Parts: sequence; structure tokens; C-alpha cells
Amino acid sequence: MAESTAAMFGGHKTNGRVLIVDDEPDVRKVVRMTLEKAGYDVIEAEDGEKAIQVINKDENPLILDVIICDIRMPKINGVEAINYFQQQYPRVPLIVLTGFPDMDMATGFLKKGIVDYLVKPVEKEKLVGAVAKAFEQREIHRL
Amino acid sequence: MRKTEITPIKPYLLDRALCFIPMKWSGDDRKDSIERTAVPFQQGGSDTVAVSNSQTHIIILGAGKGGTALLESFLNLPRIRVLGIADKDPGAPGLKLAQLHHIPISQNPLELIQKKDIHLIVDVTEDPALPELLKQHAGPGTEVLGGSASKVLWDLVQYQSHVQAQLFQAEKLAGFGTFASGIAHDINNPLYVILGMAEAIQEETDITDIHQQATSIREAAKRIQAISQDITQYARASSNQEAMTVYIDEQLDEALKIARFATKLHEITIHKHGQDGLTIYAKPEEILQVFVNLLTNAIHAMEGKGSLTLCKEKKDSHIRISITDTGCGIPSENLQKIFDPFFTTKPVGKGTGLGLYNVRTIVRKYQGELKIESAVGKGTTVQLMFPCFSSN
Repeated sequence: MAESTAAMFGGHKTNGRVLIVDDEPDVRKVVRMTLEKAGYDVIEAEDGEKAIQVINKDENPLILDVIICDIRMPKINGVEAINYFQQQYPRVPLIVLTGFPDMDMATGFLKKGIVDYLVKPVEKEKLVGAVAKAFEQREIHRL
Repeated sequence: MRKTEITPIKPYLLDRALCFIPMKWSGDDRKDSIERTAVPFQQGGSDTVAVSNSQTHIIILGAGKGGTALLESFLNLPRIRVLGIADKDPGAPGLKLAQLHHIPISQNPLELIQKKDIHLIVDVTEDPALPELLKQHAGPGTEVLGGSASKVLWDLVQYQSHVQAQLFQAEKLAGFGTFASGIAHDINNPLYVILGMAEAIQEETDITDIHQQATSIREAAKRIQAISQDITQYARASSNQEAMTVYIDEQLDEALKIARFATKLHEITIHKHGQDGLTIYAKPEEILQVFVNLLTNAIHAMEGKGSLTLCKEKKDSHIRISITDTGCGIPSENLQKIFDPFFTTKPVGKGTGLGLYNVRTIVRKYQGELKIESAVGKGTTVQLMFPCFSSN
């Protein structure tokens, strides 16, 4: 399913499209490298505000399959951005990727239904695994 | 009647000294008894702090000049209750004072010390036979402090300063606990970049890409180095440091770096006003500790969002530093308690309740003043005044 939506865009075969929201260009680059190697299309946003612009720009916002979001960011931070995504696009699975090893925050987010709370530096297998799990959820929603 | 000659220490020192009596002299569980019986500071005589239902019970033996001086001091402290005072001389001045305050008096010390619930017996009679008698007759869990009145006070102050030094360090270390996730965050981000880029280099063949990735690794490592420098500077113990000329700006900047770690989300605009290059004479680490505490509180109060205004100016013979936040403010019922040791509104494990207490202790040490104004929902201004240090 994901293949068909992604195929409309890149024209090449991908596993789907992931948005990475993080204010650090090098962090975005590492995520991009990891996920592209695993066959995903990656688009980037540098903060919550840009992410909201990106997701609303497309005529069909559902073209985004997964959002990976940092927490500490300028303008609109991760907490606010995630709240927004969950309200506006409840079917797009969310993954938190943050530097905070904070149990309270993690449980709070997981209760709200995010797929995973990943703490940097995350192993690439774990990141790819979380994205794959998010895609499974996405598929279930679509059925 | 002539008043006592024994006024060797300032009232606030005594106040501080007695603050920790329960830690040693009440037989209860340690931490609990500190919280319940810690004596609050009295500021400028406006003593409106609520008295907790638990008090430290004291018996004074000897009602001469020394005993009278102690009694007078204890009467001013809301969490100390004098259960009685004894002296062989029925005309002793302390007995009369006690009567005025409806405190039981006796000519026989042994009669008083057999009362229940005595935490501390202060023996200033200098009667050589009394210590042995007290040992035999005092109840279990009752401590005895003996000698001249000034020695007793001195012991209390010594004990206090020992505890104080430990509290400074404890608070600093506990503060680190709350900073830990902030520090971890700032290290984990560049660490992720380093690991990710290094993995990429292993598989990369394009030399230009490899160069770029190596540059990213270097920059990330430098960031970690900077963090490590910031925190080791703060963690260093201050006890052996000498007082010196301290630049306010430098310490404020240093403190801002540390306080940044206190919050997960940081969108705080910082405004700096006033004169640069102001100095005071102090131990730099102590001034840093004051600023770190105040800035951390401000940042916490704003929950990571808001504006922080720092103002430094020299007025007459004083240096004034004010820190204003646009945070949640302090409810008026808490304003009286914020300087009490162990008072905190933060959840268990997040605050020690020693921050402002230590701030005030340091400020007073340098003959400074500390004022806090706050409006709930609007913000808080903390004003520090230090006497000017003149190089002449």
C-alpha cells in the first residue's frame, strides 16, 4: 500500500515517506542516511513550525507515512508539534527521537499513542525497526 | 537591671545555628524531624511564619546572665519551646523573666529534667557535679549541652557552619540530578551525530562526503568538550577558594550556561541591561551558585518559555542585580516560606528545598540583601544588593 502512494511521488520504488523534524542539520542527515539505506523516502523540517507547514502544504497530507519528531526545538517545540499532529492527522504514526532519557516524558507520550520513544544515540537497527512498526500501524489504520 | 554581657554573635547566626538542632537533638527520624522542626529565618522582625506543631523542647539550667541570655534568644524563636529553667538562687534574673512568660521555674534542676519529651538540656550552671547527675536522671534521647553560655552558643554555631558546608555541597550535587537530563540531552545529540557519521564513513567511498562527515564528527566532539568544561567548572568544590574580585557579568554568563540544562524546552529570550564590568569581592564559586540557583528557578518557573531580564547597576554604595522572569510567580502564602530550608514546591526528587536557603546564606555572608517580588501568573523579580567593593 505504502509503495503505491510513494510511487506517485518519487517515481522510484520506496517503502514509504518519513518526515524527520529536528533542529540539528547533522542529526537530520544521520536519520536520512539510515532511513534511505532502508529504502524510505525522507523529507526534513527544522522545527515544529516548518513541520506543520510541510504537512499542510501537500494537497493530500496523508502522503506522509511516519513522522519522527525531536522535542527541544525553537519556535514550535516537539510537545506542541506532536499535539498538533495527533489532533489534525491522527492516523499518521509518530516516533519521538530525542536526547532526553526521561521516563516520565516517555510514558506520557506512549500513553498518548506514539509508536516509540527513542533516545539518541539510537542504533540504526532500532530506528529502522521503529519506523517499520509505525508502518504496520499505518497499514492497520488504512484497512 | 543590667542586661547580659553575652552578645557575641549576631541574632541571625543564632537563628541559623538553632535551625539544625533537631537533626542532632531530637531522637526522631532524621530527615523528617528536620522538616518538621527547622526554625524559619526571621527577616527584619516581621516574623509571620507559621509555627509548625512540632517544636524543639529545651530545659535551661542556670538563670544567671548566661542562662538569661539564652532564654531571651529562645523566646524569640517560634519553634523552640523552653519547658523550664532552674537556678539555685531564687533571685536569679532568668527566673523572673521566665515567670513573666509563664515558663515553669525551679530551684532544683533534677525536678525539671525529669519532664517528658525534652530534646535538649542546656546546662550553663558550671556546677561540676551537675553533668554526672544529668547523665543519671535525664530521659533517654535527651541531649545535654554544657559549659558557659558563650561556649554553648559557640558549639551551636560551629555545628551549624559544619552542617551549612555540607548543605551547600549536597544542594549542588542534588541540583546536578535535576540538570542530569539536560546535560544528557546536550551530549546525546552530538553523540548521535558522531556515531551516525562514523558508520557512514565506514561504508562511504566518495572522498568529499567522507571529508564532510569527518568535519561533522569534529564539530560534534567539540560541543561535547564544551559541555564537559561547563559542568566540571560548576562541580568543583568551593571550600578552598579564596575571596577575590568577582566580575558580575562573567558569573552571570557562566550561570546561564549551567541553568540552560535545567529545562527540556528552551525558548527563553534573555535581555541584559545596565552596566558592565561591575565587581564585588567574594568567592567566585559562591556567587556562581547564587546565580545558578536564581536563574534555574526563573527558567523552571517559565517552564522553558518566556523572557528573562537581567539588570546590573551601581547605585550609591551598592551593586544591584535583578533577575526578572515571566513565569508562573510565587503565591503569597509561599513567599514567606521560600527561604526555609527544605521548603520546596517541586515533586520528590526534583528539588532539595535548599536552593534559596543557600542563596540567602551566601548573600548575607557578603552583607548583601535579597528581595523577591512576585505576582502569580505574571512573574517574579529577585533583587540582589551587594555593598560596593572599592579597590582603594
